[in-house]
Amino acid sequence: MKNPLNKRFPRELRSDFGKYFVIFFLLVSTIGFVSGFLVADHSLLTAYNEGFEKYNIEDGNFTVHSKLTNYERTSIEKHGVRIYDNYYIECPLANGSTLRIFSERRDVNQVCLMDGAMPGKPGEIAIDRMYAVNNQLKIGDTIHSDSYTWKITGLVALSDYSCLFQDNNDSMFDALQFGVAIVTPDGFTALGKKNLTYCYSWKYLDSPADDQEASVMAEDLMKSINHIVSLTDFIPLYQNQAIQFTGEDMGGDRAMITILLYIVMLIITFVFGITISHTIESESTVIGTLLASGYTKQELIRHYMTLPLLVTIIAALIGNIIGYTFMKNVCANMYYGSYSLPTYQTLWNPQAFFLTTIIPVLLMFLINDITLRRKLSLSPLKFLRKDLSRKKQKNTLHLNHRIPFMTRFRARIIFQNSSNYIVLMCGILFANLLLIFGMSLPAVLHNYQETISDNLLCNYQYLLQVPVSMMSMENDTELEDISYADLLHASFLEYSLTTANPDAEKFSAYSLNTTSNPYRTDEILLYGIAKHSKYIDLDLSDHDVFISSAYAEKYGLNEGDTIRLKEPYEDTFYRFRITGIYRYEGGLCVFMNQKALNQTLNLEEDAFSGYFSDSEITDLPAGYVGSVITLDDLTKISRQLDQSMGSMMYIVDGFAIMIFVVLIYLLSKIIIEKNSQSISIAKILGYHTMEISSLYIMSTSVLVILFLLLSLPLETICMEWIFRLYLYIGMSGWITFSVPPIVFLKMFSLGVGTYAIVAMLEFWKIKKIPMDEALKNVE
Amino acid sequence: MFLEIRNIQKSFGSGDCLVEVLKGIDLQINRGEFCVLLGPSGSGKSTLLNIIGGIDRADSGDILINEEKMADMNDKRLSVYRRKHLGYIFQMYNLIPNLTVRENIEVGAYLSSRPLDTDDLLHTLGLFEHRNKLPNQLSGGQQQRTAIGRAIVKNPDILLCDEPTGALDYHTSKEILHMIESINQTYGTTIIMVTHNDAIGHMADRIIRLRDGMIRENMLNTQKLSAHVLEW
Repeated sequence: MKNPLNKRFPRELRSDFGKYFVIFFLLVSTIGFVSGFLVADHSLLTAYNEGFEKYNIEDGNFTVHSKLTNYERTSIEKHGVRIYDNYYIECPLANGSTLRIFSERRDVNQVCLMDGAMPGKPGEIAIDRMYAVNNQLKIGDTIHSDSYTWKITGLVALSDYSCLFQDNNDSMFDALQFGVAIVTPDGFTALGKKNLTYCYSWKYLDSPADDQEASVMAEDLMKSINHIVSLTDFIPLYQNQAIQFTGEDMGGDRAMITILLYIVMLIITFVFGITISHTIESESTVIGTLLASGYTKQELIRHYMTLPLLVTIIAALIGNIIGYTFMKNVCANMYYGSYSLPTYQTLWNPQAFFLTTIIPVLLMFLINDITLRRKLSLSPLKFLRKDLSRKKQKNTLHLNHRIPFMTRFRARIIFQNSSNYIVLMCGILFANLLLIFGMSLPAVLHNYQETISDNLLCNYQYLLQVPVSMMSMENDTELEDISYADLLHASFLEYSLTTANPDAEKFSAYSLNTTSNPYRTDEILLYGIAKHSKYIDLDLSDHDVFISSAYAEKYGLNEGDTIRLKEPYEDTFYRFRITGIYRYEGGLCVFMNQKALNQTLNLEEDAFSGYFSDSEITDLPAGYVGSVITLDDLTKISRQLDQSMGSMMYIVDGFAIMIFVVLIYLLSKIIIEKNSQSISIAKILGYHTMEISSLYIMSTSVLVILFLLLSLPLETICMEWIFRLYLYIGMSGWITFSVPPIVFLKMFSLGVGTYAIVAMLEFWKIKKIPMDEALKNVE
Repeated sequence: MFLEIRNIQKSFGSGDCLVEVLKGIDLQINRGEFCVLLGPSGSGKSTLLNIIGGIDRADSGDILINEEKMADMNDKRLSVYRRKHLGYIFQMYNLIPNLTVRENIEVGAYLSSRPLDTDDLLHTLGLFEHRNKLPNQLSGGQQQRTAIGRAIVKNPDILLCDEPTGALDYHTSKEILHMIESINQTYGTTIIMVTHNDAIGHMADRIIRLRDGMIRENMLNTQKLSAHVLEW
């Protein structure tokens, strides 16, 4: 005979449809989103990883001033590598962005055609898909530079530019202002040699086994090449952000989403735990009767566990279906919105299945089993008497009789349901944490851009690219003879490189690395400032060392602290005692007197390495200008974060609101159901629905508002900490996390608004509780 | 002897608040006997019934059913014991609210390897036409009849009735008592019924009066009356 209790399931489902629906909905959305994300992440990451072989991605690239001669090429290739031309020309376009144009590639760094066709003749171009999307360009459009016009024939992904870093030293990529493109060899030749960059890719004949070996091989190769030809840039694969950043970021995202899943599962588990406890309490006499009749504990555990477990399993299955179909595309598009990835094939992801299906079902099984086993260990008599408390009755909490009766009543309701309210508080905290993240990040980025604009050192910073050795070398030393290390880490000039621009002010600059961050090495730019500088509002003595506020914030530094920095590729360390903090958010910098900095670095007193200027300097020899830092460069990090995370913010907001609604709905529903008999009695006694609602809904309302208010400062502290940790561990540069008051207002309004809707539903529920409820259940 | 109760003692609370509910109960009940436990509130009759039913444990003393000691049984064996031997009827019916009359009876049938025929029982209990109704669509008497059906469908050896008419009117009470009497006669089920209604004692084979946790009277009723003729 089939267990007749099974017939309760559909009825139970029908009678408590609201509860099961919201749990089902929350599970489906969470599992759907996470599963979609993990599947997309896994599929894209696999496509990305396979791309190294499929598109024959380089082992590194280097740049030289002029084309390699056959002799030079052969000499380099003797060092266990094969060299490939990877020349490019950077063209500023009419839309304000810069396009790095390559000739068609056949051997290394091959191109994935995403849409349309590859260019077939000069005047045709295939541009990076993401750059096209960001700049609203499509196949058939024409793009213009000063001298050229191209017709877009296709959208592509360049395997060595999955992340559009223009410069490998940039803290962030910029797919709005920078893109890559492919033209035909003839089309490339037609661009001339004026702005040609002689970039060469290399592939090792014997590939390194790991990054460590790759590092040793790259260092050896760099030294060898430097003896043959003068390098202007050298980027081994493991250091190439344009190739590596995507893979690293995807890995980080997976960890973040997995943590999100576990937090949501934990909340759902608590909700289930409370729901089960409530079910057992409300079914107390039924359970007592069944136990007294001879039903075993195990049979009852099975019975009460079936429905929640069934809901979880079905939700997990549907969530997975949604994840593999709709959500996978949504998540993949999020990645395609940030990275120039090649096409991918959806892959079955056992890890995602385990995380999104097995774990939630297992978790649900365990929490149900533990709660039920614990609850059902009481004697049948206790169930029959509805006496489910394990502890002896403690003294009743004394409430002063001067407190108005209704307030005391509400207080009792709160104490009675304290466990529900604790879960509600945790839920509100978590939902608001998501909400503060979703709402404040765009505001933080916007604020950062404004702050940077407001306290820019100057409109243009020119960093000149001439090596330090030039100052000590003999006059007849050729530029080609200068070592790469000198080129890369220092650039100091003597007075000879001057400008007539009256705004220009010389400064020294030197970059050193941090030593105190165990997770990453930050590059610190040391500025040597001229006396009475018109750009830096500091009167620096020879002993003064000021650090930028961004540096101070990121590393928690204060006046009087000592910082220890080191040469990037040497074991030379420098110690500086901070004498002040200069308000500058644009970078991690140290400000010193120019003379003092030069002395510290054993340089000549008036050596300099660049110019500050509020107007553009046009009379410096182009070859000597290493880089120009403008507002655009400084705000690149915030622009890209905005661009890549913008769409995700809406999902996060929606998700937070959903959790908020589900928790408040479920928990306040349980509170009212738990008290349905008391509500019924109150009705019999003559209380109006409004009065009863003011008791039961008001107590929840007060706590919801209290939790909402309490959560705001807590969330801010928490978010600041998370944001600080994220930047500290994972990113160069610094963005101050400050939540604008309007975000608090929005969060609070959203919380109250959501609760108001739930409260209306609960009011309706109270109204529906019949008066004979009390009579039916009197024991 | 079918059911033997030896020196059962039970108290609640501790220290100054200690209340001795049963102060050494000795009792023997034969198979098929209709036994009524009478006594005022607080006399210990429900506690004794709960101990016999294995849903409460005595502080000391033994209960033997077919010479098997209940004190030696762990929770699992107690479940089996209840499953095999006992049927329970409560004052407040304790029906499962979202199961129909038939299904509530099937809840009992499910526990037995040789249950009575549910349809026959529904007819016997006069519930056949209500078989598809939920408990809240029934009168008190109908609910109690359903509870009786649930208790006896598994054909228990002992039917424990805790004030089965306590929540019912006079006529419905008599109807229910008659039904219990019929069960005793038809199936030979041993019946132990707790009541504070003296009149009900007249329908029993054995009347046991309790007061202050002790048996004041244990008598065989030689002038047994049918439930129909009971008056109170």
